[in-house]
This record gives sequence, structure tokens and C-alpha cells, in this order.
Amino acid sequence: MIDIKNLHKDFGDLKVLKNIDLHIDKGERVVIIGPSGSGKSTLLRCMNMLEVPTSGKIIFEGTDLTDNKTDLDKVRCKMGMVFQQFNLFPHKTILENMTLAPKYHKMMSDAEAKETAMKLLTRIGLADKADVYPSTLSGGQKQRVAIVRALAMGPDVMLFDEPTSALDPEMVGEVLELIGELADDGMTMAIVTHEMGFAKEVGTRVLFMDEGVIAEENEPKAFFENPQNPRLQDFLSKVL
Amino acid sequence: MFELFKEGFIKTFIRDNRYKVFVEGFKNTMIITITAAIIGIIIGVFVSLIHSLAENARDKHQTTFGAKCLMVFDKICTIYVAVMRGTPLAIQLMIMTFIIMGGFPNKVIVCCIAFGVNSGAYVSEVIRGGIASVDYGQTEAGRSLGLSQIGTLRLIVLPQAIKNILPALCNEAIAVLKETSICGLVSVVDLTRAGDLIRSRTMSPYFTLISVAIVYFILVYGLSKAVGRLERRLAQSDRH
Repeated sequence: MIDIKNLHKDFGDLKVLKNIDLHIDKGERVVIIGPSGSGKSTLLRCMNMLEVPTSGKIIFEGTDLTDNKTDLDKVRCKMGMVFQQFNLFPHKTILENMTLAPKYHKMMSDAEAKETAMKLLTRIGLADKADVYPSTLSGGQKQRVAIVRALAMGPDVMLFDEPTSALDPEMVGEVLELIGELADDGMTMAIVTHEMGFAKEVGTRVLFMDEGVIAEENEPKAFFENPQNPRLQDFLSKVL
Repeated sequence: MFELFKEGFIKTFIRDNRYKVFVEGFKNTMIITITAAIIGIIIGVFVSLIHSLAENARDKHQTTFGAKCLMVFDKICTIYVAVMRGTPLAIQLMIMTFIIMGGFPNKVIVCCIAFGVNSGAYVSEVIRGGIASVDYGQTEAGRSLGLSQIGTLRLIVLPQAIKNILPALCNEAIAVLKETSICGLVSVVDLTRAGDLIRSRTMSPYFTLISVAIVYFILVYGLSKAVGRLERRLAQSDRH
């Protein structure tokens, strides 16, 4: 589904990603962990070209995203993204937040877009919030709306960039629960997170990034119980 | 005392239908202010649009022909803003009147253009600041939902930026109103020049100059009050 080949990303002199190769299959749930500054967010943001790679290829469903001729707007409709800071549109109601993009792309009629949005809001128990503005929601509610806003587009893959890092501790659970539900539905996803328990539970594969390279990858059980890389052993001993 | 006032009033406004000079001056001041403000906004929007498109292209390291043209345009706009802000308005007005639009018969139109072109530079900075005040996460969220760059600007960023832009734009219009008082330099009879003409006839500076000052003050004070009210209204809609 996503194929990353020889990916390099520099910010000026700083080499953030060094020759990353990564393949994500349909239905996989890849969790990326690592110390801050290791390039994990940058890698995730490269997947939908919010960061433009310095060199290398990113192929999504057969389309080369690094090709200048690719219509990225169209591709991004198939890749949902959830941000650390939620990034709901404060000048739009919750319902408008959710219907804005589907209407913009003329994917559905106004009535259909509204119906889809209401269905999703009902699913997360926030149907009664449809007509309020984001500023009245708690952090956890905002992030759940941000997730269903991305889902409203019917994406094939979801990218999560530290979805719980900006939340108060008591709100982390509700967001992780929703992501877990998506996982149960078979959604393909890539998740950057610091929640190790969640990584273990939801991931089908865990990557450890360090200084711009994927230092270790494995299925979750072996990854956490039997880490090989000394940097990973050190990292896990600090966070677990 | 009252006799003195009466005499001054008659001398300044009534005798020889002198009020007509003031009316003419007031009319020209308003024409120049309003036209210049409109020209300024058009130029300002254009310049800031070029700037934000070029900045984006630069971030994305685009090298297409269109992107290169944008960069060149942006460079020209940068020079324009620097020149307009870096030279005295009086000089700009004289250059416009005697050099650029040398033989042009209608000096009021020349003033409109000179003040408009100058104001455009300031308006572009106001708009640029307003756009920069919107969190970049908003742009990223828009783009990640597949909105084009222009679409994101139009639907997401500008509606939020407008709260900061609108009051500042009104303040810019007020500044233009006051600046038009130098129109006399190129023999256009604006309000200030009208007062000056009458002063040289009546030989009583107090009455004419203070009358003119009062008219400016009422206009500026009224506009400032309106801006204040606008600001409060916009701030209110923030809270919902």
C-alpha cells in the first residue's frame, strides 16, 4: 500500500531521515516509536507529502507521490491524517468541520455529507455537539472529532502524529479507544506515539527510530520483550 | 468675544462664498481617501497573495516554470514594499505627479493613484501579518484533507485571518485620510489646501486652521470608534 524507498530528508545541514526503506501492507498497523528528534514525525509527514523529501520515492497505491505531476490533493483524500494539536477549524462548527472537505471535493451532496458526518459523530457519542464550535469541546473530544473528520473522507490509510501527546492524561484513554476500534475494523494505519502499552496492543509491527534511521523493527511482542538494539534497550528501560 | 467669533466665521466661510472652497476641498479629500484605500486593498491583496504562494513554493522546493515566475514576482513585490515604506510619501506624490504621470491633466486622479500605490505596500504587510497569525497547523489540516493551497487559504486561513486584518485595514484607511493633507504640494485642493487658501485671503490663521483640524478630527475619531466597535464584535465571535 505504501512503499518508501531510499527516503532522505534534510532540514538545511541537519539530516533528519537517512535512507529509509519501509513497506506498509494493507491492513497493517505500524507503530513508530523513538526519542524526540529521531525523525519519526518527519517520516510520517513525508507519507502524505506534508514534508517534501529531499530524495527518495514514496509510492502509495501505485502512485509515486514524489513525482511533480502527481495530484497530491487527490491522493491526500485517501490518506487521513490526525495531528498532535487536533487542528480543528475554530471558525466552523463541528458538523462544518466534518463536511467541509467532502463537500469541497464534491464527493457527496450536502445532504449525504451531513448524514455521513452525523453517523460518525453518533458513533463517537458527540452527535449533540454537531452545531457547536470546537472551542467548547474538551481535548479528548476535539481529537476524536479530528479522527472522524479524517474518516469522513473514506481514507484507505490513517496517519496519526502523536495523537495523544497534547491531551490531559484522563483524556488519553477515550482517544486510544477510538483508534483501537478503527484497528478492529481493519483500517491500515501508521501511528507515531509515546504510548508503549498502546503500541503493544494495537500495532501489528513496531518500528524504533533513532537518529534518522529505522534502528529496529519487529512484531510487538518480540519488540518489547526481546529488544536487540542497545539504543532501543536503553530507550525502553527509560520509558517503560 | 462672540463678535470676534462671528466676524471670523463670516470672513472664513460666508464672504465670497468661501465655504465652497471648503466643500470642494472636503470632497477631494474624501474622493482621494476612499479611492486610495480601495486601490491599496487591491494591490495589498495581490502582493500578499503572491508572497504566500511564493513562500509555499519555496518551502516545497518547487522548480517548475510557474514557481520560478512566482519567485520573480515576489522579489519585485518585496522591492516595491521596501521602496514605498522607505521613501517619504511627499516625494512619492511629487514623483508620481511630475515624472511618472507628468502630463496627466486630472491631478485628483494622480493623487488617488499615488496614495493608493503607497497604501498597497502597508496593506500587504497587514494582510501578511494577519495570515501569519493563523497557526500553520490549520494550513496543514486543510492540505491533509486534500484542499488545494488556494482552497485552504480561502476556506480555512483567510476567514480566521480576517479578524486580525479588518481592524488593521481600517486603521490604515484612517492613516491615508490624514496623509492626504499633503495634496496641496501638487496643487490639488484638498481640505488642508482649502484651509490654507482661505487663510492667505483672510489673514486670520486661527479660524481656518482650527476649523480644518476639527473636521479631520471628527472624521478620524468617528472612524476609530467604528473600528473599536468592529474589533469588539470580532472578538466576541471568537468566544462563541
